[in-house]
Amino acid sequence: MAMAGNTFPGRAGSNPNPFGGPLGGGNERASSGVINRVVEEDENDTITSPTTPSFGFAKGNNSTFGAPFGNDGAGEGPPSSFRPGVGAEGFPAQYSMGRRTSVSAESLNPTASSNDNWTVPFHEKSQEQIARLKKAISGNFLFSHLDDEQSAQVLGALVEKKYPAKLKIISQGDEGDYFYVVEKGSFDVHVNPNGSLQSGTEGLGNKVATIEPGGSFGELALMYNAPRAATVISVDSESTLWLLDRVTFRRILMESTFQRRRLYESFLEEVPLLSTLDPYERSKIADALEAQKFPPGTTIIKEGDAGDAFYLLESGEAEAFKSGVDNPVKFYKKGDYFGELALLNDAPRAASIVSKTEVKVATLRKDGFQRLLGPVESIMRRTKYEQGVEEIDPLQK
Amino acid sequence: MTNGATRQRARTFLAHINTHEQKPHAPQNPLHKELGCAGKCLQLSDFELIKTLGTGRSGTFARVWLVRLAHPQEDDRDKVFALKVLRKVEVIKLKQVDHVNSERSVLEDVAGHPFITTLITSFSDHDSLYMLLEYCPGGEVFSYLRKAKRFDEPTAKFYAAEIVLILEFLHEQEGIAYRDLKPENLLLDAEGHIKLVDFGFAKRLGTRKPSKPKKEVGTCIDRNQGETYTLCGTPEYLAPEVIQSKGHTTAVDWWALGILIYEFLTGYPPFWNSNPMEIYKQIVNKPVTFPSEPHISDEAKDIILQLCTVDRTFRLGNMKGGAQRVKDHPFFRGVNWDDVYNRKSKGPILPQLKHHADTSCFEYYPPEKEGREQYSSELQKKWDSYFADF
Repeated sequence: MAMAGNTFPGRAGSNPNPFGGPLGGGNERASSGVINRVVEEDENDTITSPTTPSFGFAKGNNSTFGAPFGNDGAGEGPPSSFRPGVGAEGFPAQYSMGRRTSVSAESLNPTASSNDNWTVPFHEKSQEQIARLKKAISGNFLFSHLDDEQSAQVLGALVEKKYPAKLKIISQGDEGDYFYVVEKGSFDVHVNPNGSLQSGTEGLGNKVATIEPGGSFGELALMYNAPRAATVISVDSESTLWLLDRVTFRRILMESTFQRRRLYESFLEEVPLLSTLDPYERSKIADALEAQKFPPGTTIIKEGDAGDAFYLLESGEAEAFKSGVDNPVKFYKKGDYFGELALLNDAPRAASIVSKTEVKVATLRKDGFQRLLGPVESIMRRTKYEQGVEEIDPLQK
Repeated sequence: MTNGATRQRARTFLAHINTHEQKPHAPQNPLHKELGCAGKCLQLSDFELIKTLGTGRSGTFARVWLVRLAHPQEDDRDKVFALKVLRKVEVIKLKQVDHVNSERSVLEDVAGHPFITTLITSFSDHDSLYMLLEYCPGGEVFSYLRKAKRFDEPTAKFYAAEIVLILEFLHEQEGIAYRDLKPENLLLDAEGHIKLVDFGFAKRLGTRKPSKPKKEVGTCIDRNQGETYTLCGTPEYLAPEVIQSKGHTTAVDWWALGILIYEFLTGYPPFWNSNPMEIYKQIVNKPVTFPSEPHISDEAKDIILQLCTVDRTFRLGNMKGGAQRVKDHPFFRGVNWDDVYNRKSKGPILPQLKHHADTSCFEYYPPEKEGREQYSSELQKKWDSYFADF
């Protein structure tokens, strides 16, 4: 077996560039962008790789695609009855052909459905600190898609910790649980080409970067437990980091996703037009709903426009106005819905809906609904739709 | 019960299973289903371990062995099985308790499908959990793909068609999302057909009633009072909504099928990098693009793009019509789906097997390390009830 002794199969061996992909980033602290990549490099396959693949590559070996196939041990590789009809042209030279390890984070139970009394940890911070942290994580795609509530929870959960000089914050090869943002001091990043921290003065490996305040490292740990790809050491005495652990981060995301889904599904149950949806279909729609926010006084639906979307009111209040009528014709609060007749026909909106406070709505366009479940008419036809549509919604004349 | 009587029951059980083996692919009457049930009467000493076939997801807690019966009756001398051994200590340490329970119970429910590895029975002892599975002698599609570098379109189409039937069955009949589709989890049987293995991440969505009556679940207390959420899969195959924790429906498998067809045809997945965070960034932000070489047909490109659509209201397989829409796609033009299900034609790659217990299609795995952590009585007290289903 040619590669039997190789404990670093897979991608680990195939990319001689410790910086991974293109550097890019365009943020003013170019070094921090780079460092994330250095630190996270190869984290998920340095140690947990399931097998010693016969297709493995030697660590650091910049071999081309074809090479490892030449030395399959006799009888160990797959049989050769299959004659490939294609050549090796066009293969990306750095793509590693090893078996890929599955990854998994902890299973989380939403508090709503368990006896857990989990609440989001909160650590007081000054406005200044929050602004700095916001900036530090803004370029990170793990945080950029969070909504305002999730962002606020994440920022609140970051906890400050002080370190003396020359302390190993994370060690290459160790399990990763935390993500770090640098508040004060600098931190050196070392990578040992063997894939893990070794003892002795040389054991750290080469210093590949330094992270300054505003930079961050260890982000892969927010997704799942993977071995650290580098060792990070504090340089200055009184260095300070902000810490966020994976379970807290994932819980924040999971709880809000779960609560929103539950909310949407219960809202949808209340919509007479959709009363015949089964739970599977309801969850599909709930999954496709998109959250939107409007400041007070926004016209969400305009009378006379063609209706193309329906809305569930997630928070805040709104009112319906008809031209020629001074007072609002209807009032909407959390859990109410409007515009659902757009799912049924293209009739112009019969009223305008204006936000009274700041509102958050969940919305789905008619075409999206139809792609998922087909025309609403056929759904309604499943059982007799008893209530006249006119009574449901003031939008209908 | 005396030991002798237990043994007798074990033999009877296996003899009974053997009658199923005569026609392994005949659909079972779900009401009289025997496969997959926990067989409390078996023990490790009923089997002779021949060779390691694989070491599971993380390389430590699971090991799959080729086994034969230790005390076979005349008729059973040639029978071989795959025995998946999970060490309780490692399962607990790696927080995979829920996953192994779910794997066993999902495999029990789906046993008998022509393209899913059949769970024959499960059992346990002090240290380990065991799942006795049918042996798929062809090894991983992954190995053939890497050796061939890439598949031609008829080959890719053949495998993709069988996988579409698997997903249709799992999603629409069983309400199960598989969540770890990739060439490494596809085995070939002796006739070159797909067998999907490793259901450790499969998840029951609970939004569709099970199509068959649920058997008694043993003495185990139901701990899953609610849904659990887990980020899991394989980096290159993760759907964007999984990376962003936005959803967890069966739609993730259709995304992965797109990635899989792409990898079949080009030899590598559309999003790759040595740094997993870079892969995730690409998956979320970048469209799938195709290389100029090899030539990929318009139909193939189209089905890949339709499956790998970030907006789930546009993703093929997730839209109205479900799997049927995938089957109707021009990429599968000319496919007779009944023939596919009934395994009318042999696969494009036929494993070269000298005998039924030939393991030459599997890679070599080094022996287990000595001196592993013991499953202490303390651990046993705390955890054994969680393994009661085995």
